[in-house]
Amino acid sequence: MTNDHPLIQVKNLDLYFGAFHALRNVSVDFHAGELVGLVGDNGAGKTTLIRVLCGIHAPTSGEVFFDGRKVEKFHPKLAIDQGIETIQQSVGLCDNLSIARNFYLGREPVKRILGIPFLDFALMREKSARVIRQFGLRDNVSTDDEVERLSGGERQSVKIGRAVEFKNRVVIMDEPTNHLSVREREHVNELAVQLKEQGLLVIYITHDIFQVHKLADRIVIMENGAKVADASTDAMTAEELEEVIRQGGRVVEKRETA
Amino acid sequence: MAMSAAKPLIRRNAEIGIFLIGALLVILFASTSDGRWANLYNVGTIVQVTATLGLMSLGVALVIGTGEIDISVGSTFGMGALAYLWLAAHVDPLAAAAAAIIVGAAIGLLNGLLVTRTGTPSLIVTLGTLMIFRGIAIALTEGFSFSIPYAARKGWSYFLLGGDDFLDFNTALYWLIAVVAVLLAMLKATPFGNRLLAVGGSAESAHSRGVRVGRIKLSAFVLCGMLAAFAGTLEAGKLGFADGSMGRLMELQAIASCVLGGCVLAGGRISLLGALMGAFVLSSIQSYLVVMGVQPQWFVLILGVIVVLAAYGDKSLRQWALKR
Repeated sequence: MTNDHPLIQVKNLDLYFGAFHALRNVSVDFHAGELVGLVGDNGAGKTTLIRVLCGIHAPTSGEVFFDGRKVEKFHPKLAIDQGIETIQQSVGLCDNLSIARNFYLGREPVKRILGIPFLDFALMREKSARVIRQFGLRDNVSTDDEVERLSGGERQSVKIGRAVEFKNRVVIMDEPTNHLSVREREHVNELAVQLKEQGLLVIYITHDIFQVHKLADRIVIMENGAKVADASTDAMTAEELEEVIRQGGRVVEKRETA
Repeated sequence: MAMSAAKPLIRRNAEIGIFLIGALLVILFASTSDGRWANLYNVGTIVQVTATLGLMSLGVALVIGTGEIDISVGSTFGMGALAYLWLAAHVDPLAAAAAAIIVGAAIGLLNGLLVTRTGTPSLIVTLGTLMIFRGIAIALTEGFSFSIPYAARKGWSYFLLGGDDFLDFNTALYWLIAVVAVLLAMLKATPFGNRLLAVGGSAESAHSRGVRVGRIKLSAFVLCGMLAAFAGTLEAGKLGFADGSMGRLMELQAIASCVLGGCVLAGGRISLLGALMGAFVLSSIQSYLVVMGVQPQWFVLILGVIVVLAAYGDKSLRQWALKR
């Protein structure tokens, strides 16, 4: 189920890091209620593209529209306030802080005493524990423990739990199943579909085309910073899309016409 | 084994090392100085020095918490002292102190803006402002000193600002206690404290969660400047005079206090109480050397040796605690 009106519209986006051309004239639309697989090899520009969408990087040129309005300023705070939650691959957790403190970082719940905002520790502990435990956390780990103590899977659980808790309109997942066990992986994939069914836009980044083809409505393939394919999963099989990645550079657009 | 039960405690609380070192030194100094070190008058002096150095160290600790460093605090301390003395001769000391703190905030703002807007490393920025404001202090005093006439050293607000003792201790001590209580609450129990430590832990991750990293760092520099200038105010209130060299080399003692107290220079992990204990240890050592009649020329050398030994002892303790 997709609306005609794109929730996020990216137009002719270019991004340079110094002399490095990280995004090359990327244009792509994303709709609410859609699960889009963003696929490509390492260094293809997937993570860079979503880091623009979640406000970490500002593009060198080109435009991004959110819900019809042009995005003028890029900052994670603005993206989060607009309802874009992102599960980043390598950033997002501060090792020196407790799980509960990381969970609420940047949007801490407070209780005011004499007008001064104090952290609401009881709420932070209780709620973060309840959400994160669904995605896997050893019983002997408390939400007061520092994130440094956690395994790779548990770190991912914290990030996923946080995105689910604060989900609003868009959930972007960058390699969400890395470091996860088979069961946890299934859980995350089911969750991605559930979020979509709730009417959210889900952008799912992976280099495993076969895994995401089963979940997604549409696959966008990137290569060397450019979009090379944009096809609905009804229109192209995973094998066909894999062939596109293997050949590299051949631009394909196939959309279902229903 | 009983000793190994302490390991998790030491792992979690980096400041335990400095508290142990402090306790050892107190026993050592008290037992080897024939009453010259451990008497009320001398302890009062140590407490006064600890209070001013401690206030400065707390500010430096906050900046270290964000992963930056401020070595300009010695000069900020001097500027605060001069501003206070110059104004206290004309207006009420409380207003003079407020003005001195504003001077410190302005220096902190300058440091913070230079660091966050230009991306220049804070070590070099604050080394520059250390020299700039030392130069200004020397130029302002033109080789003379600022002082408050004895006749003007009266009134409750003058006494309140380091000018006298209350319950045998200089009033600076009570300011220190109030400030550390406020800062501890701020650091541990408010969103600002959470974000400050997050920025030091991983600025990139904090940024990705919508934390305004630049603003947090800027706030830490401003607080640090205010605390250093306030410390200078209290020292000026105690002495009644100050010259252009006031607070020289204190920046190094403040940083040493923080590091001895368990603050990690890479950021994200600081202990305010540890930094205070570090300041106490440094003032105790100084005082011991004075009462033992050590020649001033040996003073800095011996202080340095003890600091190195204390730092080594602290590191060894932590490494022992990290072993399973």
